[in-house]
Amino acid sequence: MFLTRSEYDRGVNTFSPEGRLFQVEYAIEAIKLGSTAIGIRTNEGVILAVEKRVTSPLLVADSIEKILEIDRHVACAMSGLTADSRTMIEHARVEAQNHTFAYEEPIPVESVTQAVCDLALRFGEGADGQESTMSRPFGVALLIAGVDERGPQLYNTDPSGTFWRYEAKAIGAGSEGAQTELQEQYHRDITMGEAEVLALKVLKQVMEEKLSNTNVQLARVTQETGYTIYTKDELQSVISRM
Amino acid sequence: MDPIEIRLPHTIQRPKATPNYGPRTHTTRPIVTGTSVIAFKYKDGIMMAADCLASYGSLARFRNEKRLMAVGETTLLGVSGDMSDFQHMQHTLESILTQEYDMDDGQKLGTKSVYKCISNIMYNRRTKVDPLWNSYVIGGLDNGEKILGYVDLYGTTYQSATIATGFGGHLAQPILRRRVEGREDELSEEEAVQILDECMRVLFYRDARSLNKLRRAKVTAQGVEISEPYMLETNWSFAESITGYGS
Amino acid sequence: MMDYASMQFAPTEVPVEHHSHGGWEPYVDNGGTSLAIAGKDFVIVAADARQSDGYSINSRYDPKAFVLSNQTVIATTGYAADAKRLVEVMEQNAQTYFHKHDRAMGTTAMAQLMSNTLYYKRFFPYYVFPILAGLDKEGNGAVFSYDPVGNMERVVYLACGSASALVQPFLDNQVGGANQRGHEGGFLDRATARKIAIDAFTSATERDIHTGDWLDLFTIDRTGIHREKRELKHD
Repeated sequence: MFLTRSEYDRGVNTFSPEGRLFQVEYAIEAIKLGSTAIGIRTNEGVILAVEKRVTSPLLVADSIEKILEIDRHVACAMSGLTADSRTMIEHARVEAQNHTFAYEEPIPVESVTQAVCDLALRFGEGADGQESTMSRPFGVALLIAGVDERGPQLYNTDPSGTFWRYEAKAIGAGSEGAQTELQEQYHRDITMGEAEVLALKVLKQVMEEKLSNTNVQLARVTQETGYTIYTKDELQSVISRM
Repeated sequence: MDPIEIRLPHTIQRPKATPNYGPRTHTTRPIVTGTSVIAFKYKDGIMMAADCLASYGSLARFRNEKRLMAVGETTLLGVSGDMSDFQHMQHTLESILTQEYDMDDGQKLGTKSVYKCISNIMYNRRTKVDPLWNSYVIGGLDNGEKILGYVDLYGTTYQSATIATGFGGHLAQPILRRRVEGREDELSEEEAVQILDECMRVLFYRDARSLNKLRRAKVTAQGVEISEPYMLETNWSFAESITGYGS
Repeated sequence: MMDYASMQFAPTEVPVEHHSHGGWEPYVDNGGTSLAIAGKDFVIVAADARQSDGYSINSRYDPKAFVLSNQTVIATTGYAADAKRLVEVMEQNAQTYFHKHDRAMGTTAMAQLMSNTLYYKRFFPYYVFPILAGLDKEGNGAVFSYDPVGNMERVVYLACGSASALVQPFLDNQVGGANQRGHEGGFLDRATARKIAIDAFTSATERDIHTGDWLDLFTIDRTGIHREKRELKHD
């Protein structure tokens, strides 16, 4: 792909003659450098798991946060340039609160996802009358997990502003291997307990470091309790079941 | 230079205080006005009538005004209230009609569209607290359906088989309700004209701001037809027996 | 040294927001009455169709109750022009919501939206007394009461408009069981609720000059909205 570098690399909104937006494609490449994140949907709820790259023993692992709450019933895990996700999550949170203010009901999960994707393509010079806040595409992909009256759902968004719904999905550096593994292991009647273990097992396979309760994050979103992040102890008990 | 003082007839009152400071003010009263419009549905479509007078307070100022007009090919518009606001509306409608024509798509603005359009203009102006001081009656045939609607300076709208504005609402409407209601689809043109004239005659007898020179108009499948001004026969012999009326 | 005595001061006023000048008020009352009664798994909404202005009847059939979705109805009274605009705004929002979220807006969402819509015009209100009624997410009858600036309350039954002072006490007695010894409480069955709604309007028509001509009656249940048009006295 890098052999095709040309003058079409310069404009972030310029199509190449083959009909490609290189900057968007490069942004998608950037995700593949990010730490691995996994989402698994079950009939009871959704599990999110991420790897934390603790690059130094002096680094405080707790300061790395890659799973965040969007609303009580929606959470998201990220991979790529995680700083870029701040704008997107801020937008998603505002959108969710606005919805609750206007309609006194939680926002549908797909609508949050759509709202985030609407933001993803607002880069470059901005169309007439429409302001853009980013000069380049977002370099981050998200796994959005949530529950609403359609049940537990898992979505994946990428820098092109496209989203897909998944039963189970892996993004980031180890995504290829992880996705293959998920495909083999996932079945429709998977329970939350099994999903927790599967998420960590898959993560373990693609992580360079040894998996522990400090270098992974685990969260669940269920109909009953909404978004919950696992404590160290809860995490340890899942690890012990692996 | 001395300020010019405008003398208004005693029937038009100035507001009690006319401050030269304060917020921008809008039309607070009508100046040159037209009185009632009456209209109703009949077998072939819509009938409407209005006299040719535009009053300046109690002065019968302009005696050859047209208060009925066609909007497009299938819509009839009648107006009462301030005549300058009506002219403003005429200009607005003309430009809308021109815009539509310039689309060059062969689409014609139907009666429902004209009605909605005028209603929106009226409601928007009332919402700015700068109303167009008029009552409008809109009649026409929209895809064969008889439409007769009303809209006024408050943006109030309604549709009915019989409509009368201003004084007509008190004097003509009862007659129209008795003679038209429930018979909209059977009334012949002859009878419709007769009803129209009866109402206009009553109005001329009792409305001091009316004139015995009027036009009537109809919308049928053949389109809009507005008559030349005509007079109604009246009988004032009763006045002879009333002391102090004439002699 | 300033010579204050000879200075001319323009009158100073508190900056109050003015919405009327020269004595013209941008509001009229077009009368009309509406009511709603919630049942366990249904709700009844009724509104007369007369539009009046003072002592004059403008129209005998100018409907003021409208279907907003297959489980929600809005009934309005007060200033007809504002009421029609409010309904248009609600219809537009319902349509936008449908496109944006790929589902119809529920009754409770609609209720909150209407409160916001009314409050948005707090300083130039829609002079309307709306009733929103339908089925909630659980399929129960829901009636929402509002004032013109958006205060909202969920109630079991409600009357609004020119004959509300006649109809509300009647409903308090017949639906709410006020002053009735041995009243069992709980929801009414459908046939009784419908009969009470009709009786309320026949009686209101007798005493209130702004109510009459025609009655639009909606019954909303799991199968959808059932509409009846009934005649009231035309006098």
